[in-house]
Amino acid sequence: MKRFIDHAAAWLSVANLVIVLIFLVFPIIVAITMSFDGREYLGRFPPPVYSLRWYERFISDTYYLTGLATSLKLATIATIVSTAAGVCTAIGLDRYEGPGKQALETLFLSSLVVPAVVIGFALLLSFAMVGVFDGFTRLLAGHIIITFPYTVRTTLAGLVGIRKTLTEAAMSLGATERRAFWDITFPLARTGMVAGAVFAFAFSMDDVAVSLFLTSPDSYTLPVAMVSMMRTNFDLTIAAASVVLMVFTFALILFLDWAVGLDRLIGKGVFSSQGEPS
Amino acid sequence: MSVLQLSHVTKRYGAFIAVDDISFSVEKGKILSLLGPSGCGKTTTLRMISGFEVANEGAVMFSGIDMKGRRPYERNVGLLFQDYALFPHMTVVENIAYGLKHRKFDKAKIPDRVAEMVSLVKLKGFEHRRPGRLSGGQQQRVALARALATYPEVVLLDEPLSALDAKLRQELRFELKEILAAVNATTIVVTHDQEEAMSLGDSVIVMSGGKIMQQGAPTEIYADPKTRFVAEFIGRSNWFSGQLAPGTGGLAKFKATSGINMIVPVSGGHLTGGQYDVCVRPERIQIDAATVASAGTPVNEIRGAIRDIAHLGADLHLVVEIAGGQLLTVTEKYTGQTLEQTGQEVSISFRPRDCIVVPSGS
Ligand SMILES: Nc1ncnc2c1ncn2[C@@H]1O[C@H](COP(=O)(O)OP(=O)(O)OP(=O)(O)O)[C@@H](O)[C@H]1O
Ligand SMILES: [Mg+2]
Repeated sequence: MKRFIDHAAAWLSVANLVIVLIFLVFPIIVAITMSFDGREYLGRFPPPVYSLRWYERFISDTYYLTGLATSLKLATIATIVSTAAGVCTAIGLDRYEGPGKQALETLFLSSLVVPAVVIGFALLLSFAMVGVFDGFTRLLAGHIIITFPYTVRTTLAGLVGIRKTLTEAAMSLGATERRAFWDITFPLARTGMVAGAVFAFAFSMDDVAVSLFLTSPDSYTLPVAMVSMMRTNFDLTIAAASVVLMVFTFALILFLDWAVGLDRLIGKGVFSSQGEPS
Repeated sequence: MSVLQLSHVTKRYGAFIAVDDISFSVEKGKILSLLGPSGCGKTTTLRMISGFEVANEGAVMFSGIDMKGRRPYERNVGLLFQDYALFPHMTVVENIAYGLKHRKFDKAKIPDRVAEMVSLVKLKGFEHRRPGRLSGGQQQRVALARALATYPEVVLLDEPLSALDAKLRQELRFELKEILAAVNATTIVVTHDQEEAMSLGDSVIVMSGGKIMQQGAPTEIYADPKTRFVAEFIGRSNWFSGQLAPGTGGLAKFKATSGINMIVPVSGGHLTGGQYDVCVRPERIQIDAATVASAGTPVNEIRGAIRDIAHLGADLHLVVEIAGGQLLTVTEKYTGQTLEQTGQEVSISFRPRDCIVVPSGS
């Protein structure tokens, strides 16, 4: 009987995995397939003929292209700023031992739990109050705010795994605190920092909720462009746009993974104690 | 002049006194064992010597120079951490070379020095491995090589063997001693294992509650503990509590509260009529008096019954119940046959000079 339950549990977890995969992957496959649809109109799935017409329409549509350019620029700057700020914050939090450490940590991570719509609206009000009306500046500020907690969090996770005795060992061997940070802490926490940057970029590329509030007529992101096109003239250019968005996000993640991959030659951060080739 | 000297060093955390007015010194090439129960301030003492903590009072001196205000990287101390603290992203060689690079060692000589250390700790063939792919014993040796590579003035080992299993501990203890002797390192070894402390140290300090309880050569600490705490901490012991009565020739009568009378050695400090505890080591007790009694020397003899016999390899551990239900532990060498039986009535005996007299409740 016990055995039966074990088997049943194993099957259930496999079934669960399959269902989740279907729900995750199927819509993406549909979207990708439909973006190559050769028909003029929005027809049934699967398309009988394939073509690149929606992609052609996408790249000849300045509205989408402007959105894509803004998105890429925004995501890149937001990632750099929020990674730099997040890493510094995480290091500070990790070192700080005084009272209210927990409260500070919660504060820095709080926008993880505040709904994005609320953040967007609150930012819109605040910007209006202080008189910031430039769309790009507002978007950038918003994106930094929503991505910052992720970079803090992943860096903190990387730092927590680094024992304090490592820094002390370096100091006892003649390294100053600053030297010990660059030699020991930084390389070991790098994996966490890069993970934070990946998250930041992906979330920035993907965000709609905050961006919708902060957009101006000449500064809007690709997802925002897709949403507004969906309301005005819904066609499969949106599918093509989604694929383009996905490709750019994936490309950056792959690039960063490759960058961390290089890192493996000289040490793989906190995970280095588990079997890499000698 | 002593290589390392601490004088009246005190460390407080708020109102809590972690290290309480301790003074000691270590000579060139000697090993000092710092022994004591958990939380008695051993690590704190090492951290003050290495510069990670600042003493509230007193001075830490290296070869007569006060280290006050010097950061850890401004003192030449070799540290072995309890968890080894090897850099996981560096190979064995990089770990060992780290200190040489930062202590402004002649760059051209670094590879030679690293190779020398690698062979000293017998790690040839493992030079380019990362610590994650070494066994516990190998990691310990890398940590030791890294600590010794820079010719430190003082070597501090915090529980160097505690992360290893019992058999490996024995082997590495011997190796550790050899390596330290080979480089003539002035060393402090922290441990809470009394066997480790006694076998490694040229001298031993027993600490408790931040204070030094006793300091001396291992044999001295074992044979002549000044307090009950030290006697109990170092080795096994049987205890009698009672009062001293006058005697002659450096001996006194001792009347235990359980009614047993015995003859014990006394020195000038002992007061007739005072409350004392008497300790007898298990291996100093003989079962059946014949072997102990020789002409002219008094012998303490007590009747009892054997309650348990345990064979522990080379030793026999016997539990003997005496008057008043007190249980004594007696150890004998196991010579191939067991003459005693459980339940047997025996007479146990020990010489007066095998009794250790300490003030009651010390
Ligand atoms: N940073 C600190 N703040 C407050 N109390 C501390 C601090 N560091 C140590 N203590 C206290 O000082 C006492 C001595 O600590 P220490 O680490 O020196 O003990 P130890 O002898 O090394 O013990 P163990 O054998 O368990 O390692 C302990 O009671 C400990 O709680
Ligand atoms: Mg300790």
